[in-house]
Amino acid sequence: MLGAFLLAVGVAVAINLVLTGLILFAGATVGDYGECTVRVNGDREVKAAGGRSLLSTLKDSGIFIPSACGGRGSCGLCKVRVEGGGEPLATELPWLSKDEVKGGVRLACQVKVKGDLAIRIPEELLSVAQYEVEVASIADLTHDIKEVRLKLIEPGAMTFKAGQYVQFEVPAYKLTDEPVYRAYSISSDPVDRGAIELEIRYVPNGICTTYVHRHLKVGERVNINGPYGDFRLSDTGRDVIFIAGGSGMAPIKSMLLEMARTGCRRNAEYYFGARSREDLFLEDLMQRIEREMPSFRFIPSLAAPEGGDEWSGETGLVTDVVGRRAGDVSEKEAYLCGSPLMIDACVELLKKKGMPEDRIFYDKFS
Amino acid sequence: MKQTPEMDSVQAEMAPGRISAAGFLGADQRRLADILSDDDAAVRRLGLTHQGIADRMRELREAGKSGLGEEVDVPPDHVVRIAGVRGKIPCPFHDGVFEKVNTIVRNVKSGREIVFTDLSVHMIEAHGFYEGRGSPFRNDPAVLAEVLGVRPAGP
Repeated sequence: MLGAFLLAVGVAVAINLVLTGLILFAGATVGDYGECTVRVNGDREVKAAGGRSLLSTLKDSGIFIPSACGGRGSCGLCKVRVEGGGEPLATELPWLSKDEVKGGVRLACQVKVKGDLAIRIPEELLSVAQYEVEVASIADLTHDIKEVRLKLIEPGAMTFKAGQYVQFEVPAYKLTDEPVYRAYSISSDPVDRGAIELEIRYVPNGICTTYVHRHLKVGERVNINGPYGDFRLSDTGRDVIFIAGGSGMAPIKSMLLEMARTGCRRNAEYYFGARSREDLFLEDLMQRIEREMPSFRFIPSLAAPEGGDEWSGETGLVTDVVGRRAGDVSEKEAYLCGSPLMIDACVELLKKKGMPEDRIFYDKFS
Repeated sequence: MKQTPEMDSVQAEMAPGRISAAGFLGADQRRLADILSDDDAAVRRLGLTHQGIADRMRELREAGKSGLGEEVDVPPDHVVRIAGVRGKIPCPFHDGVFEKVNTIVRNVKSGREIVFTDLSVHMIEAHGFYEGRGSPFRNDPAVLAEVLGVRPAGP
């Protein structure tokens, strides 16, 4: 009886050992893709151990592809053209148009590097870098928008164009077990290469906005990467309409600071929508820009002024005010930044008023 | 309610770092079947239905759209703001992908404020799932009912 029991135990142990050996062997061979080469835009080579996502592989080699979801396939930003990269996964399809699928576009976070690959990315992404920055100041612009000034430490300077954005790395804290990235437009003048400013509006439960509003301290060091984006002022010389709301102020402010500094003479009107006086900010700065740039007008509007606001300016939604005041827009161009709802409403309005769609540029928070 | 193998798979998807950084379960150690069952019982005790709660959430979300991203009064008791963020998020039950849109609702009478997402509305409506305890976007059925002013359907 005892002999039979010991034999059974011995057999079970032997089976376990064999299975463990097989798993270890598989892990070391089947999952071992060796060193793989990723050729970028035909001339740059990245060599890395295979088996990780293309997004992580490129990031570790100093090539930053925009991604707002930490590589979970839920933001759709990390598009790259993969030559011979295979069919997209089901997780990628909601983000890709038919033409993109046909053209070999994939989400870098969903492509596992299992062998040599060739990819195409916009050239400007090759100049994106990671920066260690120190929080120089945090100021309240409104009850729910903070201006954060970040001094660049390493590298010590960034070259960017007004309208571009960076990704802010939130370290692990009580709302996230791992670092996450969120995109914010730069609000400062590009001439100031040693520091950047961001305007961050609090979103209840938002991982990044909660960190910035409740935890971030002056003197703290964090990481950002950038600059990204092609939301930039054209050089057509056309009259310009800017429209923004809330923290959509950021890229427009950067553009205006640059226009004022360089003595730009383009006619420009800036329609800024807020709910009440407490949601309106940077009025002094806008008035200073009006003085420095006589061809510029700042036109703030309040959708629901409070009793004590003593407001004599425009009232109504920003779309109402643009509708009333913008006149003939058919020869102008427009730059919009704000919530998707505001952008969609403004695009419709401007098209209705005769502005060609290809002259409406926007940075949607979506 | 029995925890099926499908529920095991969905519950695994709800862990932090899978679909979202924070996940959908918070510190809740219960099985998904128990979370669903307990919240279903809570909704019944309130005399409500998941559909009725979801309908009210959607009604306020639609009313908030007129603010174009800023706060808007929704008489008689609410102020609503719609805040879109970059990206989309799939449902952990594998039945849809949703824009990352937050609806922030403040009840001016009580001063209480809650936030829900388009995905929250879908998960309540289609699955009776309000997220686990301690999850950043969990809204307890009783809190939803109170803050949003959800009333039992008439006879």
